[in-house]
Amino acid sequence: MKKLIALSVMALLSLGLGTSAAYADDHAKQKVVYHINSDDEKLLKAALGNIQNHINAVGKDNLDLRVVMHGPGVDLLKLANKNPDFQDKVSNLKRQGVHFNVCNNTLVGRKIDYKNDLYDVSKEDIVPSGVAELAILQSQGFSYVKP
Amino acid sequence: MNNQEQNFSDEFLNAFVDDQLTPEEKAQVYARLSGDETLSRQICELRKTRDLVQLAYKQPPMPARGLATLSAGRKIGLGVAAGLMLLVGGITGWFLHQPSANQVISVAQNGPGDDTPAKVLFHVSDGHTEHLKGVLDDVESLMQYYRRSHQTARVEVITNGEGLGLVLAGISPYAERVRQMQKEYHGLTFVACQNTIDRFQEELGITAKLLPGVVVIDSGVAQIMRRQHQGWAYIQG
Repeated sequence: MKKLIALSVMALLSLGLGTSAAYADDHAKQKVVYHINSDDEKLLKAALGNIQNHINAVGKDNLDLRVVMHGPGVDLLKLANKNPDFQDKVSNLKRQGVHFNVCNNTLVGRKIDYKNDLYDVSKEDIVPSGVAELAILQSQGFSYVKP
Repeated sequence: MNNQEQNFSDEFLNAFVDDQLTPEEKAQVYARLSGDETLSRQICELRKTRDLVQLAYKQPPMPARGLATLSAGRKIGLGVAAGLMLLVGGITGWFLHQPSANQVISVAQNGPGDDTPAKVLFHVSDGHTEHLKGVLDDVESLMQYYRRSHQTARVEVITNGEGLGLVLAGISPYAERVRQMQKEYHGLTFVACQNTIDRFQEELGITAKLLPGVVVIDSGVAQIMRRQHQGWAYIQG
């Protein structure tokens, strides 16, 4: 019986070691998508704060964090174009590896010129449909957060 | 409540849950559903059983589309047979696979041209007109995305709390739009929460009359958890 307990403890321990080792591995990054479709300035500011806190808690190297904006949510990057506080926060997050993805349907529907109207958006940041992107990312194992 | 009326047989309700009735037959059930709590609960139970059986599979089988074209009589028989096969298959599958929690929970990978349907749920709990419009716009743009990329999709719009207003006859600001979207997109279902319906009755004295084609489930929150467990993506509308 003692032997059995010792064996179980060892098995549990090795399991624990295994997972923590895997966690450091690139493939075991925590994957998370933040969904933003509101243009409420307070909410947007809080969302950027949430994301920074998230990075502080998990560590930027252990995290693949995407922000998907569509509809009124695209205003986040409009604000960042004009408001230095927002701009600082967004570029800070980008430096820590956060991807900001913009919905192409929204760009077309709202006639937004991403080069001039939005802060620091390049072609690779644009996804065909923001809502579909949320579904696709979840199917790839991303957790969903709506601030 | 429904003593005077003829009760639906179990076979008929099973066929309803498996989406194998004609539009007319479905309309009969829907017409009764809004006023008949016992029937709602009965259907909830059937759905739950079906979902549990499907959970035993790694990839839940879809109801066969071909059945919809058969005659009504054969359809019900086939529905029962299919139900039995599902049950037997489910139990056998359970013993054969012994699927780990991971396998069951993992979200189905899908991309354009893939046969596995994309599965997405929208959770609607805010009833403001502007908000509801935004949700319907999002649902529609998603359905169009899947259509453009030739991908089959099942999308559920699950309403609870104030969000129930979206699917209430005489209250919904978008009744006509909901009807059009149901007609336009095959894989789209609007779902209403029985708990909220009960609460509206108790607190506000409103007897909820649902728009045609809206499906009632026991609890919106429970349905959201079931769907996520089955690998559906979650989007808060």
